Amino acid sequence: MMFDNILSILVFFPALAALLGFVVEKGSIRAYGIAVAAVEFALSLVLWYAYDPSVVGMQFMESIPLVPAFGIHYLVGIDGISLFIIVLATFFTLIGIASLGEVSRLKDMILTLLFLEMTMVGVFVALDAVVFYVFWELSLVPMLYIIGAWGGPLRIYASIKFFLYTFTGSLVMLVGMLFMAYFYHQATGVWSFSILEWYRLVLPENFQIWLFVAFFFGFAIKVPMFPFHTWLPYAHGQAPTIGSVILAAILLKMGTYAFVRFSLPMFPDASVFFMVPIAVISIIMIIYTAMVAYAQEDIKQVVAYSSVSHMGVIVLGTFALNVEGISGSVFLMIAHGVVSGALFMLVGVYYDRRHTKLLSEMGGLASVMPHYATIFGIMVMASVGLPLTINFVGEFLSLLGFYKQSHILTLLAGTAIIVGAIYMLAAFKKAFFGTVTNEANRGLKDVNGRELFALIPLVLVTVWLGVYPKPVLEPINNSVESIVSLMHEKAITQEAKMRIPNPSQQEAASGGSH
Amino acid sequence: MEITLTHYLILSTLLFAIGLIGVMRRTNLLMLFFATEILLNAVNIGFAAISRYYGDLTGQMFAFFVIAIAASEVAVGLGLLIVWFKRSGGIDLTTMTSMKG
Amino acid sequence: MELYLYLALFSPLAGSLIAALFGARPKTLFTGVVTSALLGLSLVSSTILLFYILGGGAAVHVEMMTWMATGDLYIPFGFLVDQVSVTMMMVVTVVSTVVHVYSIGYMDHDKSFNRFFAWLSAFVFSMMVLVMSDNFAGLFIGWEGVGLCSWALIGFWYHKESAIWAANEAFIMNRIADLGMLIGLFLIYWNVGSLQYDRFFEAVVTLDQSVLVMIGIFLFIGAMGKSAQFPLHTWLADAMEGPTPVSALIHAATMVTAGVYLVVRANPLYEMIPEVGYFVASLGAFVAMFAASMALVNRDMKRIIAYSTLSQLGYMFVAAGLGAYWVALFHLMAHAFFKALLFLGAGNVMHAMSDELDPFKMGGLKKVMKGTWIMMTLASVALAGIWPLAGFFSKDLILEVAFVEHHYVLYTVLLLTAMLTAFYSFRLVALIFHGEERYKEYGSHPHEAYTFMLIAMSPLALLAVIAGFAFKGSYIDMVTAVLPATEYHVHSPVVFWIMVIGTQLLVGAAIAYAYKKYQNAKIDKAFEQRPCYKVLFNQYYIPHFYEEYISKPYRELSHVAWKQLDLRVVDATVDGIATLFYKTGEQTHTMQNGNLSTMLRWMVAGTVLLLALGVAFTVGISVVAG
Repeated sequence: MMFDNILSILVFFPALAALLGFVVEKGSIRAYGIAVAAVEFALSLVLWYAYDPSVVGMQFMESIPLVPAFGIHYLVGIDGISLFIIVLATFFTLIGIASLGEVSRLKDMILTLLFLEMTMVGVFVALDAVVFYVFWELSLVPMLYIIGAWGGPLRIYASIKFFLYTFTGSLVMLVGMLFMAYFYHQATGVWSFSILEWYRLVLPENFQIWLFVAFFFGFAIKVPMFPFHTWLPYAHGQAPTIGSVILAAILLKMGTYAFVRFSLPMFPDASVFFMVPIAVISIIMIIYTAMVAYAQEDIKQVVAYSSVSHMGVIVLGTFALNVEGISGSVFLMIAHGVVSGALFMLVGVYYDRRHTKLLSEMGGLASVMPHYATIFGIMVMASVGLPLTINFVGEFLSLLGFYKQSHILTLLAGTAIIVGAIYMLAAFKKAFFGTVTNEANRGLKDVNGRELFALIPLVLVTVWLGVYPKPVLEPINNSVESIVSLMHEKAITQEAKMRIPNPSQQEAASGGSH
Repeated sequence: MEITLTHYLILSTLLFAIGLIGVMRRTNLLMLFFATEILLNAVNIGFAAISRYYGDLTGQMFAFFVIAIAASEVAVGLGLLIVWFKRSGGIDLTTMTSMKG
Repeated sequence: MELYLYLALFSPLAGSLIAALFGARPKTLFTGVVTSALLGLSLVSSTILLFYILGGGAAVHVEMMTWMATGDLYIPFGFLVDQVSVTMMMVVTVVSTVVHVYSIGYMDHDKSFNRFFAWLSAFVFSMMVLVMSDNFAGLFIGWEGVGLCSWALIGFWYHKESAIWAANEAFIMNRIADLGMLIGLFLIYWNVGSLQYDRFFEAVVTLDQSVLVMIGIFLFIGAMGKSAQFPLHTWLADAMEGPTPVSALIHAATMVTAGVYLVVRANPLYEMIPEVGYFVASLGAFVAMFAASMALVNRDMKRIIAYSTLSQLGYMFVAAGLGAYWVALFHLMAHAFFKALLFLGAGNVMHAMSDELDPFKMGGLKKVMKGTWIMMTLASVALAGIWPLAGFFSKDLILEVAFVEHHYVLYTVLLLTAMLTAFYSFRLVALIFHGEERYKEYGSHPHEAYTFMLIAMSPLALLAVIAGFAFKGSYIDMVTAVLPATEYHVHSPVVFWIMVIGTQLLVGAAIAYAYKKYQNAKIDKAFEQRPCYKVLFNQYYIPHFYEEYISKPYRELSHVAWKQLDLRVVDATVDGIATLFYKTGEQTHTMQNGNLSTMLRWMVAGTVLLLALGVAFTVGISVVAG
């Protein structure tokens, strides 16, 4: 069958293309990069097309033994949860490369991006903990290079901070993985690093709690959750536009994706145990970083902190532990990827023209660059979660899901829609409204064709999935349902059983109301 | 008074302490070698005594092994020492700081 | 009928998109014409639907497509045209068609003419979604959509700092209320399993009283934001920064009544929780009085009308809270007509006076602006509730409701407010149109508006006059098919006539007093020094309070959160840990001074330490093991 190896092709094609790219001439490297990214994106669309949402479980699985003695396999496969993040990753690589402005060492940049694409896709298709870990760590390298080589004046500090911070977290996670494999060996007598095998293991609650904490460190720093978020503003502040776009759109999602892929199904009781503390952290993320965002003087930092704030909603939705909440949070991962990626790209548009990101330098841009202001406005409105934009669907479902668990915490988390509006509108006002006070802004050119090529698809996706989220939401929903029923079955404690409703029963009880 | 294992071990310990102090205090490289030899031989006494006590020859074999190693060590060490003396004109330890961290 | 439903709903959207295509271009007249024509189409379709419903047709219910479906949640784009929504559709389409045509003249000289029409039609579309949706989620789409359009239109002249500030204030205040509404939706979903109106209203009887109270309160919080009820009312007066047609359409006739619509729509819920209803009514009465008092002394024409809107919204909430849903809806309709008319008249005056807003700088305008004068007077008479204009039928009914339901305090408050209403309305009319021509001192050259603008306004004038006596009967027959058909009659005819005539007399006296006092008004400096004037003029210092005690602390706290907490505590801790390792290395690297003796000593020390640890550990184990 033609789809037997599609995931491997999807993972390694960009890396091979990047290697080949070293012999491509400098003049044609842009076209080469776009072509490779376009083929990769087309492949991911084929994957989407071939994906059957009605099938429960992983699809397009491949398994090649790597270290059979320890049960380490090259095991890949996708379900509804990972599918769309992969499509998002290939999509953003494509428009990222296509919209690259004049950068120094263009060839290095494009090849790095292609390599980064491999690691990103790899993380989301991996179903073996070791393979997952390898891609997870590998993704740091190109990003480190992008920030360190093309960043702003503080780039070395920022890139080292980014690297060490996330690396420390993932080492703790690695210890957790090794322990998990050890427990698995103890319980079954065979070694396995397959996540699907791990799913079947029912662990005692205290083991779950320790392992949950170990994994949590790795994921939380990546997300980044308060108080581990401070690497993010530096990374965004120093990274070139393309770096910020990929970082915000895809790399941050690795953390929240890993919560859904590892923490929830493997440690259902621990998830219930830590639900309230994590919800509190999420609420701190939402409100506190929103306030910090409001105080920023640099528009890129506003967007950076807003990312943290939105990631809070995603984490909250994940720990709603019911189908509505988790589906919402997975959808919000996509939505936030699109919207924050677009916002960073928009900031880059201004930065390319003026080489500044300070709000005080802007002002009155709406009359100088009307199209730019319109697109920015649409994205701002999507970011504050207006209905019929992509973000609303995710935010609504995440909060709705969590409401089942706690009313008060949801009410607090719901302030996201207020505080989000405050900082976004304030920044938008400072940047675009009023009269043009800065002479340097007066002659600015509106968005050009290359930028529109990147931005228009994002606007279309934002509206399309806001009005009609079904094509994405349905596969997500089906995969999430199977995860939640697995969690329900595995849960040991009475409280966990109660907190995690069984989706199949729920449906039976309500009598198939739709 | 019969000489028991304890006496051998005390002797071994004393020699070892002398060697250790020598290693720590001496700054002359040649003296350092002497101190090292004392350390090794202190251990050898211990090996031989315990071997005799248990009636197991392995300890004595080990002592021979150590003697052989010590000999080769001295051979290589003295060779290096001569080279160093030729290069720097002295064998004082305090002058050897090229491995400074 | 489905075709007409879709036509009524989507033709404003089509108009908006067409206008948006030309949004950044200089003025093209046809955008105004096309959007108005498409709105006309929407109006015609709504009228057809109205006659269909009036003729006893069943409610039209369509489900267009799925919006969100996950887990047990299923939200479609579903639309419902029943007696209530068709009334709202008529109000929305009539007023917005008039406003569109009027705006072609009003925005004539504005360079962002096309953008204006794009947003105005988008607003109508959102409003139609709001009133036509068959579920709470769809209502919320419209709810937020009108919020967005309101934001864009208040801040339409985005170069003005005050306009943008007002726009953001409106958006954020509404967001606060929307959170309440969202929580209400979550409650409904987790208790009923669906957000469809019909499913919810069926389930209302089976739900716990406490749950119903919570739902009622949270939904009403949503309504408070959109309808600018205390304490979320400050945005409405500031929203007058927007172009006047926007004030007429959004901030008088339609959007601000969405809260009333919500309570009316959720009537099966509020029927079950009369205590919440009573709270709604009390708050409404308070706002009616409170807003009217601020209108008494204000010197900004548009703000006076805005306060009047606020006050009338209070009336509607009194009716809705007391369970007289059809009365609330009736007043909503009548109010939409005469208030929009009043605003459009004010727009004419503003144009004539080159955007002057202070009525003390006008006076005697009736000579040059006869048409506007007549229409504004008509609207004010209707607003004051003089027989036989629309306001009489709807507002007197609310007074009767309060009386019949034995809420005499509310009744007294409303009666007093009715007098205040008459007073400030005619204070405004007297100041603008009568007396000396004070504008001459300020060098203005007023002129009447384009004739087609006056013609565009005339349907509203007609409706303000006849909506009461001509439509009341058939209206009641229609809406009471879905709303509780309680009749409100004062039993004793004597009491009834005393009430009606008494009210008319009091209102008449208030009008006469306003004329007498303000016909030849000079600015009374001594009066302005009085504390009660100051309190009223500064809106009870509430905006000041919000600025000082909410906005400013929030700003400062944000700054502290960033500079002190994020950079100095959170980030510094991380950097501190890194520095700790670095410094440790720096301090201990002297160990590696290259001196063999020193190294050997360290080696010995290390060995001793390890041996000691080993011994301690072994001893420890044996002790623990026993």
